[in-house]
Amino acid sequence: MTPADVFVQQAINGLSLGAMYALLALGFTLVYGILELINFSHFNLFMVGSFIALGTLQQFGLSGQDTILLGLPLAGVLLAAFAVTMLATGAIGVGIERFLLRPLRDVKGPAAMITTIGASTILFNVVLLTAGADPKNFPNPLPPLTFAIGGAVLRLREVLIWVVSVLLMLALTFFVQRSRLGKAMRATAQDPEAARMMGVEVDRVIMTAFFLGSALAGAGGLIFGLYYNFTSFIIGFNAGLRAFTAAVLGGIGNVPGAMLGGVIIGLVEAFCGQLIGTAWTDVVIFSILVLVLVVRPAGLLGRVAPNRS
Amino acid sequence: MLVAPAQRRRLGLLALVLFLLVFPFVHDNDADIDSMANAAAYATLALGLNIVVGFAGLLDLGYAAFFAIGAYFYGVFSSFQVMPLWSDGWVSLAVLGLVEKINQGGPDLVHFTLSFWLALPCAALVAAGFGVLFGAPTLRLRGDYLAIVTLGFGEIVPIVARNAESVTNGAAGLNGVQAPRLFGWSFGVDATPYYYVGLALVALLIFVSIRLRDSRIGRAWMAIREDEVAASAMGVNLVRFKLLAFATGAAFSGCTGVFYVAKLQTATPEMFGFPVSTMILVMVVLGGMGSVWGVVLGAVLLQLLQSWFLPDLTQWTHALGEWLGNAWLQRVDFAESVELIFGIILVAMMLFRRDGLIPATRQPPALSFEAQHVAGVRRGGFVGLERIGRWENSDWQKSGGNALDVRGLTVRFGGLMALNNVDLSVPAGGVVAVIGPNGSGKSTLFNAITGLVPAQAGSIRFEGAELLGLPPHAILARGVARTFQNIRLFPNLTVLENVLIGRHARLATSAIGAVLRLPFTRREEAAATTRALDIIALFGNRLAPRANQTVSGLSYANRRRVEVARALATSPRLLLLDEPTAGMNPAETLELAEQIKSLHAQGLTILLIEHKLDVVTRLADHVMVLDHGECIAEGRPEEVRRDEAVLSAYLGRAAREAVPRRW
Amino acid sequence: MADTILEFQAVNTYYGDLHVLKDVHYTIARGEIVCLLGGNASGKSTTMKTIMGVVRPASGRVIFDGADIGGISTAERVRRGIAPVLEARRLFPRMTVHENLEMGAYTRPRGAAFAQDLERVHALFPRVLERRHQLAGTLSGGEQQMVAIGRALMARPRLICMDEPSMGLSPLYVEQVFDIIRQINAQGTTIFMVEQNAGMALSIAHRAYVLQTGQVVLSGTAKQLRENPAIREAYLGEMQVPPPNE
Repeated sequence: MTPADVFVQQAINGLSLGAMYALLALGFTLVYGILELINFSHFNLFMVGSFIALGTLQQFGLSGQDTILLGLPLAGVLLAAFAVTMLATGAIGVGIERFLLRPLRDVKGPAAMITTIGASTILFNVVLLTAGADPKNFPNPLPPLTFAIGGAVLRLREVLIWVVSVLLMLALTFFVQRSRLGKAMRATAQDPEAARMMGVEVDRVIMTAFFLGSALAGAGGLIFGLYYNFTSFIIGFNAGLRAFTAAVLGGIGNVPGAMLGGVIIGLVEAFCGQLIGTAWTDVVIFSILVLVLVVRPAGLLGRVAPNRS
Repeated sequence: MLVAPAQRRRLGLLALVLFLLVFPFVHDNDADIDSMANAAAYATLALGLNIVVGFAGLLDLGYAAFFAIGAYFYGVFSSFQVMPLWSDGWVSLAVLGLVEKINQGGPDLVHFTLSFWLALPCAALVAAGFGVLFGAPTLRLRGDYLAIVTLGFGEIVPIVARNAESVTNGAAGLNGVQAPRLFGWSFGVDATPYYYVGLALVALLIFVSIRLRDSRIGRAWMAIREDEVAASAMGVNLVRFKLLAFATGAAFSGCTGVFYVAKLQTATPEMFGFPVSTMILVMVVLGGMGSVWGVVLGAVLLQLLQSWFLPDLTQWTHALGEWLGNAWLQRVDFAESVELIFGIILVAMMLFRRDGLIPATRQPPALSFEAQHVAGVRRGGFVGLERIGRWENSDWQKSGGNALDVRGLTVRFGGLMALNNVDLSVPAGGVVAVIGPNGSGKSTLFNAITGLVPAQAGSIRFEGAELLGLPPHAILARGVARTFQNIRLFPNLTVLENVLIGRHARLATSAIGAVLRLPFTRREEAAATTRALDIIALFGNRLAPRANQTVSGLSYANRRRVEVARALATSPRLLLLDEPTAGMNPAETLELAEQIKSLHAQGLTILLIEHKLDVVTRLADHVMVLDHGECIAEGRPEEVRRDEAVLSAYLGRAAREAVPRRW
Repeated sequence: MADTILEFQAVNTYYGDLHVLKDVHYTIARGEIVCLLGGNASGKSTTMKTIMGVVRPASGRVIFDGADIGGISTAERVRRGIAPVLEARRLFPRMTVHENLEMGAYTRPRGAAFAQDLERVHALFPRVLERRHQLAGTLSGGEQQMVAIGRALMARPRLICMDEPSMGLSPLYVEQVFDIIRQINAQGTTIFMVEQNAGMALSIAHRAYVLQTGQVVLSGTAKQLRENPAIREAYLGEMQVPPPNE
C-alpha cells in the first residue's frame, strides 16, 4: 500500500472508532450537562451493552462468523439487537440513577462520584464472574462486501457503523432540540431552578438523560462487537478513557462538541496506532486530556470551564 | 475501680500492641503471618491515601502509581535487572556498599545492591517527587476533574512499566529482588521478619499521620478540603499545601512499595493498576475518610476479607454443596468475587454511612438552636479585649499614611462592569463603611482587595504596598483579613479549629517540625491555642462553651461571630467585615456593633459593608455609597443619609420627583 | 371584600435557624397590582420562592384561589395559574427567544390556546417577535426582561409573581416594563411584584406591603405609602434601638 493508501485506511479506521467514541461521549455529556457528575459506570455500561448484544445475537442462532444474512433478515436481526441492547442498558442506567444517585443528589463532595465508581466496579465484576475472563467471539452476520478506495479497503461493517451512528446522533439531536422533554433537558442543564419554576419535573428529566445516555452506551457496545468481532470484560476502560477525552476535548456538556471530539479522538487513535503502536497511544490520548484541562478547560466548543469557580 | 475512657483506650491499645508483638510465636502459621504482613502494607497505603483524600480532600484515583514507583525503585536498584558496564567511577559507590562489581562471563558489570533500609527513605523521596509532578497539573481543577487526571497518571505508570522492558522486565516482572539484610542476616522467605518490619512501618506512619493531623499542617489541609477559597483568604497557601499533601501521600505509598516488593521479591505491572487504586480507596471509605484509626481498620478488614473470610466461606459452601449434592455450590469460589464486594462496599458506604466505620469528626452533643439563643444581649463591646492587646501600630500607620488606598479600581466580569473607577481611602485606625443597594459592587470591592477576583485596572495599596496581583494568602499575611457575606466557615471543623486556622499564617512550623514536635512547635501551638481561646472568649458565653463543637451545628448568629473571631485570629491590621450583622435581630445587631466599636477603640482599622444605616452611623467615620459599580456619594454618615443621590439609588428615581420635599 | 386570589396567613419560613419570614400576612385581590417593598435581605425573594413552592414554610398557610397550596408541587402550581418572572430574568441563555416562550407554556398542551397566547405576546412585545430565533443570552437586559414577562404570560396565568423587574435596567426600559405591567393587569392578570425601586412601583401599584428583616412593617394603598415618611427608614435599614435588657 502506498502512503496515501495507508492514510486513507487509517482515516477509515479512525472514523469508525470515532463514531463509536462519539456515541459514548454523547451519552456521557448528556448526564454531565445536567448533573455536573462524572458517571464512571457509563463506560462499563458500554461493555455490558456489548455482552447483551452478544447474547441477543446468539438467541438468533448466530455465532462465530459462519452465518451470513442478507436483506430483511439482516435488517431485522440488527434492529432487534440494537433495540434490546439499548433498552437494557437504558434500564440499567435509570436503575443506577434512581437507587444509587438520587439519594445523594443534595450531598456535597465526592460522594456521588465515588458511588459511580462503585457501580462501575460492580458491573465490571458481575460480567467477569458470569461470563469469564476470556474474550468472546462476536458474531458477524454481515456479508463480506468491501469497497476499494485506491489501495485501501472499506468494509460493509464500517459503512453500517457510520450509518447507524449518524442516525443515532441525528435522532438524539432532534430529540434534544425539538421535543418537549428534550427542551426541558436543555433548560434544566442551563438553569435547574428556573426550569423547575416553569413546571419542569427535574427528576423525570434527569431520568431521561440517564436513559438516553445509557442507551447510547449500549449502542456503542454493540458497534464495538460488530467492528472488532470480539468482546471482553475489559473493553470499558480503554474506550472510556478515549470517550472521556473526546467529551472534554469537544467541550464537556456540549452535544455537538462530544460528536466532534469523538471523531477527532478516533482519528488520533487510528493514526497513532499506525505510527507509534497501541501501547503508547494511551499515553498520547491521556496527554491530550491533561493538556485540554490545563490549557483550555472549556474545550473546543464548550462554554463552561470545569474549574473551581 | 473505675477506669476513665482515655485510660481505657490506652490500655486497649497496649493490649493490642502486645498481642501483635507475640502473634507470630503464638500462632506459628507462615501463611497467616504473611497475611498480616500484607495487612500492614494495606494499612500504610490506606494511611497515605487518607492524607490526600481524607485530610486534604483531593480525590486521587491513581494512587497505586506511587506504590509502583517505590516498588520498582527498590526492585531496580537491588536486583540484576539493570546492569551497566563497570568503570572506575563506580568505585566510590562500591565502597559505600551501594553497588558491587560482578562478572557473568563477559565485561565487568555493576550490580546495584541498595540496602532495603536505605531504599525506604530514598523511595519515599522519589515517590514524593512524583507526587508533586502528578499533582501540579491538577491544582486548579475541580474535584471530579482532579480525579480523572490522577486516574490517568495512575494508568500511565503501569503502561510505562509494562513497556520499558529493559528497566522493568515488562509483564514478566522483576525478579531476583534482594531480600532485606539486617546485620548480615538475610530475611529470606520466612514471613516473620517482614511481619515485624510491616508492623514497625504501620506504627511509624500512624504516628506521622496523627502528628500531622493535629498540627498546623493538618488544619491547613482540612481547611482546603472544606472550603479552599476561605482557606486561601485565611492565609493558607493552596499550591504549597496541596502539593505537600500529594507528596506526603506519595511518600507513604513509595515506602510501602519497597516493603511489598522486598517481601514478594518480584514486581509486575499488574500489581499497580486501577483495581489496586480502587481497593485502597475502598479501605479509606470503609474506615472513614480523614480518620487515621479508621483507615487502618478498613485495611485490616479488607485483608481479613480476602485472606480469611472469603476462602473460609468458599470451603463452607463447598461442604454445603457436597451435603446438598449441588454441583454449582461445590465449584463456587468466593475469593474471585472480592472486587465485586469492593464495589458493593463503596456504594453501600456512600448511601448509608458516608462517615465510615470510625468517623473522623466525633463531637460532643450539640445544643439545639433554641438553647443557643437563650444568652442575653451583652452591651458595651467585647469582654476582656485587654487580653488581646492593642493592635500593633506599624510604622506606616504611625507616620500618618492611609491604611488602604484604592485608586481607579475597575473590575469587569465578561461584559458586566462590576466596579468602575472606584476610589476609596481608609485612614489608619479609622472605620469606613461601604453601602449601596443590591448588586452595587460592594462584595466585589472586597473580593478585589483580598485578591479573590482580578481587577482590570487601578491600584490597591495597603500601607503603601501594592496588593493587586497578589494571591489571597499573601494579602492575608500582610495584615488584611475579611469575613464573608454568605459565611464561609469550615463546616466539619470545630469552632476552635476554625479560629485556629486564622493563626495559620502567623505560625512557622513545617511538616517535619510538626512530626518531630520540638519544643518550638509545642510553644507555638500552645500560644496559638491560648490566643484563639482568648478571642473566642471575647464573645462571652456565646462561643466559649461551644469551642469544641462543629460549626455546622451553630446558630446563624453564632456562625457570624465565629467568622469574625477567625478573622481576628489572623492578627490583622485591616479588618474587612462583609455584612457582619446580616440575619441578626436588632438586639444581636446592636451587640455586635458595639463589639466592633470596641475593636476600633483598640486601634484596629476597619472597612465595613453594611446595609443597616443605623449600624453605619454608630460605627463609621466615613461612608461611601456605591451604585452600579460607581461611587455616587461620600462623606460623613449624617450627610450621606440626607443625600438626594443616595435616596434615589435606594428608593428609585421617581421617588424623588413624585414625593414632596417633606423627606 | 374583593375576591381574594392569594393569601399568606401567619407564614414563618426558616433557612436553617435563620428566621427569614416572621408571621407574614398578605392579601391580594383578583385584578390588583400589589407590590412588596423593602431593602436588602428583607425577605422579598423568599416570599416569591414560597409562592412558587421552591421553599416551604415552617408554619402558616399559603392560599391560592381558595385552596391551600402548601403541599403542592411547583409544576402543579404553574398548572393552576401562577407564573413567575424571575429575578435577573434567568432566561435559558442558550435557547432561543421562541424556545424560552415555549418553556413558559411547558405545562400546557400545544394547540389553539397556545397559538393565541403566542400572538398576544408578540403583540405586546414587537421586538420579541423580531428576535424570536436569537439566543436569549445575547439579548440586552431590557429585551430579556420583555422575554421573561412574555414567558410568564405563556402559562396563561391568573397571577404573575415578578421578582425585581426593574433591576439592572436603564430608565427607558424601566418605563417600558412598567407600562407593560399596567397593560397586562388591565387585561385581567393579577400582579404581585417584589421591587426595590419604591418610586416606580408605587406609581403603578394599587396596594403595597413593606418588609423589613422578614416582618411586614407597613402596608396600605399606594397613595398612603407614597405619603408616609416611615418608608424611608424601613428601606435604609434604620432599626429601632431595643429597650435596655435586664
